[in-house]
Amino acid sequence: MISFDKVSKVYQKDWVALQDITFNIDKGEFAFICGATGAGKTTLLKMIYKDEEPTHGTIKVLNQNLKDVKKKEIPIFRRKIGVVFQDFKLLQDRTLEENVAFSLEVTDTPAREVRKKLMEILTYLRLSHKKYAYPYQLSGGEQQKVAIARALVRDPYILLADEPTGNLDAKSSEEITSILEDINYKGTTVIMATHSISLVRKMKKRMLRIEDCRLVKDK
Amino acid sequence: MSLRIGIREGMRTITRNGSLFFLSLLVAAISLFLLALFSLVTVNLYQAIKILDEKIEIIAFLDQRADVDVLKENIEKIKGVEQVIYVSSEQALTELRNELQDTEEILTVFEENPLPASFRIELESNFRNAQGLNEISGKIMLLQGIDETLYGGELVDQLKRVTRVIVLFDFGLLAIIIFSVIFVIFQTIKLTIFARSTEIEIMKLVGASDSFIAIPFTFEGIVQGMIGGFIAFLLTAITYRVSTFFFDNVYFPHWWFLLGTILGGMIFGVIGSSFAMRRFLK
Repeated sequence: MISFDKVSKVYQKDWVALQDITFNIDKGEFAFICGATGAGKTTLLKMIYKDEEPTHGTIKVLNQNLKDVKKKEIPIFRRKIGVVFQDFKLLQDRTLEENVAFSLEVTDTPAREVRKKLMEILTYLRLSHKKYAYPYQLSGGEQQKVAIARALVRDPYILLADEPTGNLDAKSSEEITSILEDINYKGTTVIMATHSISLVRKMKKRMLRIEDCRLVKDK
Repeated sequence: MSLRIGIREGMRTITRNGSLFFLSLLVAAISLFLLALFSLVTVNLYQAIKILDEKIEIIAFLDQRADVDVLKENIEKIKGVEQVIYVSSEQALTELRNELQDTEEILTVFEENPLPASFRIELESNFRNAQGLNEISGKIMLLQGIDETLYGGELVDQLKRVTRVIVLFDFGLLAIIIFSVIFVIFQTIKLTIFARSTEIEIMKLVGASDSFIAIPFTFEGIVQGMIGGFIAFLLTAITYRVSTFFFDNVYFPHWWFLLGTILGGMIFGVIGSSFAMRRFLK
């Protein structure tokens, strides 16, 4: 499903973000990308959804060599991948429902289907009762659930989560990780970047550890 | 790609980011007003030059024995003559009376009409200069029955030199104003788009196409330019109305100004937003 073959990313002459990274992630897998802040986790995720290009090496996602994905094909490619961030990236001037629907509307989904999918996802994440609330009226955990709903509403094959629990308390973090686990259980490949080793240990999933720009552990 | 959703998004940003939109609109309106105002000055300058140019003519005074019809026919045959108008001595007196208005009693000192009959000779545009005037006047003087001719001569050339300098100066200023207006409008649009970079980032993330992302901003640019242009037109029209209290014959082709300000605003809006969007849609 996702394969990195000797991938390096160099921003400037002396600024190497990632070096010689090689791994494979299969369909339906749950994997953690671990490492300290600035280790290159975000860059790695960005390369998966083609927001960054590798300087060297080959990346294949969903049986496509990303080098062959042309600029105008990127939007279509991204519709197959959901992304969740630490800072949620919600539109503050839209309600919870509008934030989630936005994801479908920009990809020209018919209104009827938008309503149906909204109902499904908001029920699944237990957000229906707050659908008219604005992001600033929600707790951190709830905002992250909205971000997950937005990513999930398009039925992506892969869900990328970049430090999704970084801004949350212990209880909310637990809720979010269990949601991600459930999503994975239903068949979506989930890759979660985190600096929290304790969380990884607790979850007992595959871990790819990045240190000094290199992949040092894969177990 | 749904245009409807794109426009709805544009409307939403206008209504929800009202203050930002209003600020940007105000900048566009003031900039366009400045441009329209200077264009109004330019148009009137040209109008004045045109009227001045049309007034370049030769007056040929006739002696009392002149055969008017034959002379008129002969003058019309001269190359460069556009039109010959006969002004009888009575007509000349009436015109003078009209010009003198309240002080026409001056004329009572004359026992009889002192003014001779004349021809007012209008020239083709390329003969409206010192050389053309001298040449044609010389030919007219050769005709029997012409007493004297009157024309500007060198003064006309001097006047033309002065107007040429004024026109060049005006063009220079107009170019500077156009560039400044474009710069200010573009920078303002850029700022309003930068303020919404998160929105663009999310759109890109969820797989919106570049054209879909651009539609709301282009729509906003069009609306802003259209309203800004209309406000600029209204301000120009008010300025025109006020100026008529101080100056006679101010020329204001209002339909052209209405079209120019609105269309100009829309074009600046569209180009400005597409330039600013380019940075995000690389």
